Amino acid sequence: MDSRIIASNLADLYKKAADKYETLPAFATRRTSLEWQPVTFRELYERGRKLSAGLIELGVEAREQVGLLSDNRYEWMLADYGIQLSGAVNTPRGADVTDDELIYIVNHARIRVAFVENDALQKKIVRLRPELPELQEIILMSPKSEPLEGVRALEEVMAIGALQLEKGDKRVDERMEGIRPDDLFTLIYTSGTTGKPKGVMLTHSNMMSQMSVIPIELACTDRVLSILPIWHIFERVFEVYTISCGACNYYTSIRTLGEDLQNVEPTFMGSAPRLWESLHQRILDNVRSAHPVRRALFHIAYFLGHYYQESIFYITENDLQLKPQSRIKRAIFKIGHLIRLFIMVPWYGFFNAAVLESVRKSAGGSIKATVSGGGALPIEIDKFFNYIGIPVLEGYGMTETCPVIAVRTEDKLVNGTVGPLVPDTEIRIVDLETEEVLYPNSKNPYEGRGMRGEIWVRGPQVMKGYYREPEITKTVLREGGWLRTGDLGMMTFNDSLKILGRSKSTIVLSNGENLEPEPIEMQLRQSRYIEQCMVVGQDQKFVGALIVPKLETFVEEGINADSLKDLVDHPKAHKMIRDEIRTMMARTGGFKRFEQVREFRLLSKTFKVGDEVTNLFKLKRHVIEKKYEQTIKEMFSAKEVKV
Amino acid sequence: MEFDTQLLYAIDEALLGIMILVIMFGMGASLTVDDFKAVARRSRGVLIGFMSQFGAMPLVALGLAIVLDLDPAFAIALILVGCLPGGTTSNMFTYFSRGSVALSISMTTASTIMALFMMPILLSLYTSGFTQQLSDAIFAADGGTEFVIPTKNIVVSLVLVLIPVAGGMVLRRFSPGWAKTAEDTAGFMGIIVILFLLGTLFLRHGDILIRTPWQLYASAIGLGLAGFFFGFWASRLFGMQPIFQRAISLETGIQNGPVSFAIILLSFADSPVRDQMLWLAILYSAFIVMTSSFITLYYRKKGRFDWEVYRNTVVHNRLFGESYVTHYPEGFLPPRIAHDPSQGTSPSQKR
Repeated sequence: MDSRIIASNLADLYKKAADKYETLPAFATRRTSLEWQPVTFRELYERGRKLSAGLIELGVEAREQVGLLSDNRYEWMLADYGIQLSGAVNTPRGADVTDDELIYIVNHARIRVAFVENDALQKKIVRLRPELPELQEIILMSPKSEPLEGVRALEEVMAIGALQLEKGDKRVDERMEGIRPDDLFTLIYTSGTTGKPKGVMLTHSNMMSQMSVIPIELACTDRVLSILPIWHIFERVFEVYTISCGACNYYTSIRTLGEDLQNVEPTFMGSAPRLWESLHQRILDNVRSAHPVRRALFHIAYFLGHYYQESIFYITENDLQLKPQSRIKRAIFKIGHLIRLFIMVPWYGFFNAAVLESVRKSAGGSIKATVSGGGALPIEIDKFFNYIGIPVLEGYGMTETCPVIAVRTEDKLVNGTVGPLVPDTEIRIVDLETEEVLYPNSKNPYEGRGMRGEIWVRGPQVMKGYYREPEITKTVLREGGWLRTGDLGMMTFNDSLKILGRSKSTIVLSNGENLEPEPIEMQLRQSRYIEQCMVVGQDQKFVGALIVPKLETFVEEGINADSLKDLVDHPKAHKMIRDEIRTMMARTGGFKRFEQVREFRLLSKTFKVGDEVTNLFKLKRHVIEKKYEQTIKEMFSAKEVKV
Repeated sequence: MEFDTQLLYAIDEALLGIMILVIMFGMGASLTVDDFKAVARRSRGVLIGFMSQFGAMPLVALGLAIVLDLDPAFAIALILVGCLPGGTTSNMFTYFSRGSVALSISMTTASTIMALFMMPILLSLYTSGFTQQLSDAIFAADGGTEFVIPTKNIVVSLVLVLIPVAGGMVLRRFSPGWAKTAEDTAGFMGIIVILFLLGTLFLRHGDILIRTPWQLYASAIGLGLAGFFFGFWASRLFGMQPIFQRAISLETGIQNGPVSFAIILLSFADSPVRDQMLWLAILYSAFIVMTSSFITLYYRKKGRFDWEVYRNTVVHNRLFGESYVTHYPEGFLPPRIAHDPSQGTSPSQKR
C-alpha cells in the first residue's frame, strides 16, 4: 500500500504529515537499549510552529539562510521544522565542523541566526564570533547544557514563539503560503575540487521530486533505523521520505547498532557502504565462532543461495550485461538455469528457512530492503547480502542532484550497477575529451550502451547552482540543464547504470568521507624522499598512495640501489618512507584522521609527461589508476580480511 | 493393495529409527520448561488447537477413510495419523507464515503430552469398525488370530519417543548452542530420510507409486489440507486473531510423522498389515512437506499487512513502554484488527 504524501513544498509536507498521521511516532530517541522517547507527528509540527514563530520574532526573513551545526538528534528535525515553516533555508553542517569551515560557511552563506548542538560547539562559535560579523543570534539545541552569554536556549525561542502564536500572530501561516517551488529549502556546503566548500542550492521542488520517485514503499507500520549524518543529503531525503510515509525514524549510532538492530527490528535502512562492510564482517565473525556443524550448514546454505539467486537473476534479466546479448544463447542458458533452479528449490527452501533466516535475524530480521549510497558498495559485499536474501538497493547520486539519480528497484536488481534511472531523469554518457554524446546516440551500436564516458544528468532533482559561485556553477551546469557529475559510467545492456570511477579527483572513501587528494600529494611531495606520488582510495576504507621514490636521497642515506627497481621491495626503504609519510602528514596538522595515508606502494618507474602526467605536470588519474590497477588492488586487499 | 515383498529392509528400519531418535531429540532441544508453563497463559488458543487437533482431525481421517472406501489397514493408518500430536516442523512453518510461533510451540507441547491419553482413546473409538473388517479378512484367509489395536504398546511407544525429547530438553538447558545445532540437524535429517526412503522404495518396488491407488494419495494429501482448512476456520469462528489463526491452521494440519513411524514399528511389529500402514504414513509425511510449503507461502503473502501492524505495535510497546498506545490513521487498519492492532498480545492496545 503506497501512502506517501505528495506536497508542494517541505513545510506543506510537514503540515500534511501532522494532519494525516497525528499521534503516530515520527522520531524516536534512544535513552537506554529498551527505553526510547517517541515524538509524534503532531507534537513535532506544533513545536516546529512555535519555533518558527520564535525565529520570525528574532528577525529571520523568508529565503534567508539559517545555520544548523549539529549531528543527528530529534532537535535537528525540530530546528528544520522551525526553519522550513518560516520559509527560510536550512544550512546544515556536522558537529565536527572545523574552525575554518565554520567561518567560511557562516560568512559565505550570510548566516545571521545559527543553531548549535552542544556545549563544545557553542563555545567554539562564541570564540570565533569576532570573525563572524553578520552573525546575530546563536541558539543552543541541547537541553543538557547551559547557554553562554549571548546564546539562547532552544526552549527560550520556542517560548517567544508560543507567546506570539497566542497573541494571534499569523506570520507563520503567511510564510508557509509564500513558499515558491523554486525557493531553496537547504544550502549544503560540500568540499569541492577548488578546496574551499561550495554551497549547493537545493529547492523545494528538487526535494518534492524525490518524494514521488523513490521506488521503495513504506507505510505507517515501518521502522527506519537512521545512522548516517542527517546533514548528508542522502540521509536527509530518506528521513523526509519517512515522514511522508508516516513511518518512524529511530536514531542509532555505530556503538549501539548491534543492539538497536535487535530491539527496533527495522524494516528499512539506508546507509553507506561502510556499514554494510561492518555488518558483513559481523556475520562472518559469528559464523567463524559457531559450532563446526553450524558453520558447515552455513556454507552449504550460502552455496545454495549463491547459485539459486544467480539463476533467478539470469532468468529475470537481472544479471550484469556489459556486452551485447545473443538472444539464442540467452534462451538456451535460460533453460539451463530453469533446470538448475528446479533441482535446487527444495534444498534452497530448506536451508533458507533453517540457516539463512537466522543469519538475516542478526540483521534485525524484519528488513524488507536496504539502500546503499554515498559511495560504491564493494561487489563481494553487495553479492553477499543478496545471496543471503537481504536485497540491497544500491543507489547513485550526489548532493548536487538532491541526491538520487539512479537506484536499483526490487524488479531491477542488477548486482554491480546502481540500477535504472529514477523517473523523469535523463542521462547522457559523454566522451571526456571531445564532449561528444555517446549514449543515447542512435549512431552508435546499441544506442551507445556499453560505452564509457562521463555521466551528465538532467531532471527535476538537479540543483539551482552553487551559492554565490556563478563561475564554478557554469563549469558544472551546462546549457539545457545538464549537470556534469564528474563520474565515469556506462549504460549496461539491460539499462542499468554502472559507475566506473570519477573523472574529477575527489576521493570518496567507503565510509562516505570525502577528501581531495591534491593537498595530501602536495604535502608528500615536499619530502626529499618522494619524487612523485598519487593518492588513491576511492571506495576503500583508507587512503593509500603510489609513490615514486627519489633515488638520490636513498643513495645518500646509504642504501645500495642502482635503480628505482631496487627500492621497490627494499625493506629499509619501505620503513624510511613509512616514517617519512608520518612526519610529513603530521607536520601541518591540517589533515583529518581519515585523510592520513595508511598504506603505500613504491613504483619502479617515474611518471612521464604526456603519458601519466600532462605537460603542466598534473596527474592523469585515470591513466595511472588503469596502469597500476593491480598494484592498487593488492595494496588495499592486503589489509582486508578474507572469508 | 498388498505388498508381496517386505516394504522396508532392516537397514531402512534402522535408518527410520535413527531419524525418529534425532528428530525427537531435536524437538526437545527446541523446548524449555517455560514453554510448558506458557501453555497455561495461552489456554484459549491451546484449547481451540486441542479441539481441532484431537477433535476434528481424527473425524476428518475417519470421514476420508469412509468416503474414499480405503482398505481397513490404510484406514486404520490414516486415523492413526489423524490422532497424532503436532510436530516441530509446524513451528518452523508457522514462523514463515507470519503466525504466532509462541502459540505453535505451546500447542505442540500440550498435544505431545495429551497424546499419551488421547491417542489410545481416539484410536479405539474410531478404528473399531475397521479392526473388525480386518479380523474377518484375516480369519477368512488363513484362520489367523484376531486383529486388535495394541493400546498398551502404543502408550509404551509414546513414552519411548518422549525419552529423547526429554534428553533434548536437558541439552537445551545446559548448552543452547549445541541445542540449536541439534534442532537444525533434526529438520534436515527429516527431509533427507523421507527422500531417501522414497528413493529406495522406488528403486526396490519400482511400480509402487503406480500401484498405489489414487484414493490413497487423495487421503494422504487430503488429510493435511483438511486440517489446514478446519484449523483456519474453526479458530476464526472462535474469534481468534489472524496470527493465531495461521498458527492453529498449520498446527492442525501438520502431524508429528515420526511418532507414527515409531508407533507402527514398535506396536504393530508382527502384524501383517504393518507395511501398508507404514506406506500411508510415509506418503503423508512426504506430501505434508509440500502442501504446508505452499500453504505457508500463501499465508505469508496474505498475512503480510496484519503481521507488520502486529510487529510494529510489539516494538512500540517494547521501546516506548507497556502502556504506550499506537493510533493509526482512520481507515488504515482493516476492521478485524482495528480494535486491537497488537492482536491480543498487548493489553494497552485494546480499545
